[in-house]
Amino acid sequence: MSSLNNFTPTGMTQQEEVLSVRSQAESLREETEAALHGARPAAARETLKDVGLRVGSIITLVLVWWVMSLFFPPTLIPKPWETFGEVAAIVTTGHFFVEMGSTLRRVLVGFGIAMVVSIPLGILMGTLRSLESFFEPLVILGLTMPGLIWAVLMIMFFGLTETSAYAAVAVTIFPMLAISIWQGAKSIDKDLIDMSNVFHASAWSKVIDVILPQLVSHILAAIRYGLGLAWKVVVVVEMFGFSNGVGYQVVRGFNVFSMKTVLAWAITFLVVMIVIEFGFIGWLERSVTRWRPRVEAWRR
Amino acid sequence: MVFVQVERAVKFFPREDGSYMLVLNGVSFETKEQGITCLLGPSGCGKSTLLNVIAGLERVDQGRVEIVSNHNELGTRPPQLGYVFQDPRLLNWKRVEDNLNFALKGMAIPRAAWDDRLNKYLEMVGLLEFRKQYPLYLSGGMRQRVGLARALVIEPDILLMDEPYSKLDQLTARKLREDTLEICARLKQSTLLVTHDVEEAAYMGDRIVIFSARPAQIVEVLDNPFSPLARDLDDVRFIQFKKQLLQTVLNLVKEKEEA
Repeated sequence: MSSLNNFTPTGMTQQEEVLSVRSQAESLREETEAALHGARPAAARETLKDVGLRVGSIITLVLVWWVMSLFFPPTLIPKPWETFGEVAAIVTTGHFFVEMGSTLRRVLVGFGIAMVVSIPLGILMGTLRSLESFFEPLVILGLTMPGLIWAVLMIMFFGLTETSAYAAVAVTIFPMLAISIWQGAKSIDKDLIDMSNVFHASAWSKVIDVILPQLVSHILAAIRYGLGLAWKVVVVVEMFGFSNGVGYQVVRGFNVFSMKTVLAWAITFLVVMIVIEFGFIGWLERSVTRWRPRVEAWRR
Repeated sequence: MVFVQVERAVKFFPREDGSYMLVLNGVSFETKEQGITCLLGPSGCGKSTLLNVIAGLERVDQGRVEIVSNHNELGTRPPQLGYVFQDPRLLNWKRVEDNLNFALKGMAIPRAAWDDRLNKYLEMVGLLEFRKQYPLYLSGGMRQRVGLARALVIEPDILLMDEPYSKLDQLTARKLREDTLEICARLKQSTLLVTHDVEEAAYMGDRIVIFSARPAQIVEVLDNPFSPLARDLDDVRFIQFKKQLLQTVLNLVKEKEEA
């Protein structure tokens, strides 16, 4: 210690050095305290501002709609509040829940089937060269096929049954899910696979404990895209001649040329989608990524 | 006791252009039945490849790599190996305790024994209070300790360590070396430690196997004159031993270059 005491690489005298270190420590302590006290309110302000901006964007949209409605007859662009009144009527009569229920069921069943098939296939394609070569052209072909054509094909094949709705949804979104998971599976960490081999992990444990968790962000992205695509297909299928569901209601509105009805159903539809997106998928994402500290890449 | 026997091991790696690169050029040695055997050699000489062969991740092209038990301790079961990697290779989405459970599950250790094992080995590496934590919330040194606990918790016949301290800062590495030495002295299983650090080999190795540059050949095997707990980094005689070892390694490198 004694030899280190006289060792001052900065060339300052010992006393100056001690003082400078002390003042550095002081300012560090102040910074830390400021950070500790400031952190929470700043974060809260940030979320409040976020919410404000989000609400603002919706209000702007309604305002633009209202201005446009001043220049067009109500049969072409109805007033926003009249449309909202129609929405309220649909919802309060309970009509909405029956129709939306049918549509949701078709989406979820089709989506579930596609998910159950695409996760194992995607993993196999990403980890086995021969399966990748075999399925790649098929998946790409499937991806290029328009959903509308799948819908027509399925209705021609299964008739106007629930099965054709499920099948159309499943077949349309399946290639997209498979591609997403396949690409994810190609980038899994070889070192972790070696590790699980060293500890004699079973094939099942490798899938559940090692591979699937690495695919979480790919699967979440696939769920988001897949649901978005599923809504579009299911409405088309319902328009073709189903007697219930949101798509059918939209066609009915079209047949009597009621812009208000068409818009009202579209709005209810959007609201349900947003609830699922921000509520359910957001919750799912938070709960499966709790192990990961939040990255704040752009904070100075 | 159980130990590793390597006899005239030869290993080639295929190159991109179709030719082959010789990695292990007839390597033979035995690990100590109790205590740490250090494989010391320059980076990229094939030490880690040899460790992977012992772990069963790769095969030798010629020769023999065997895990031997001279009193039939293993019976008919396959030997169990604990592996500590250079990067901890933890499952970051699992809590510390579940990372250990992952190894216990793979080794088919009855579930009833898991909790006692967890407590014992997490305590040994000093992480008992962090058992519910996720790895990414721990420091690098602590993550490496989790890796060590995961290798120990299966109570392996052989413990393999591949440069486990090379990514840690000096002070953390020093503390972890001390702790590992103490744990290994207590548990007494045959341990293999790969390193390119002469000082680390002198401090950790009960037996030091010196490798040449690639293709790896063994140029010298020596037993550490200091017992594990008598290795004082500041002791003059120990520093002398370190210097000698370093000189030996440097001379070997020079001879190799001249040849």
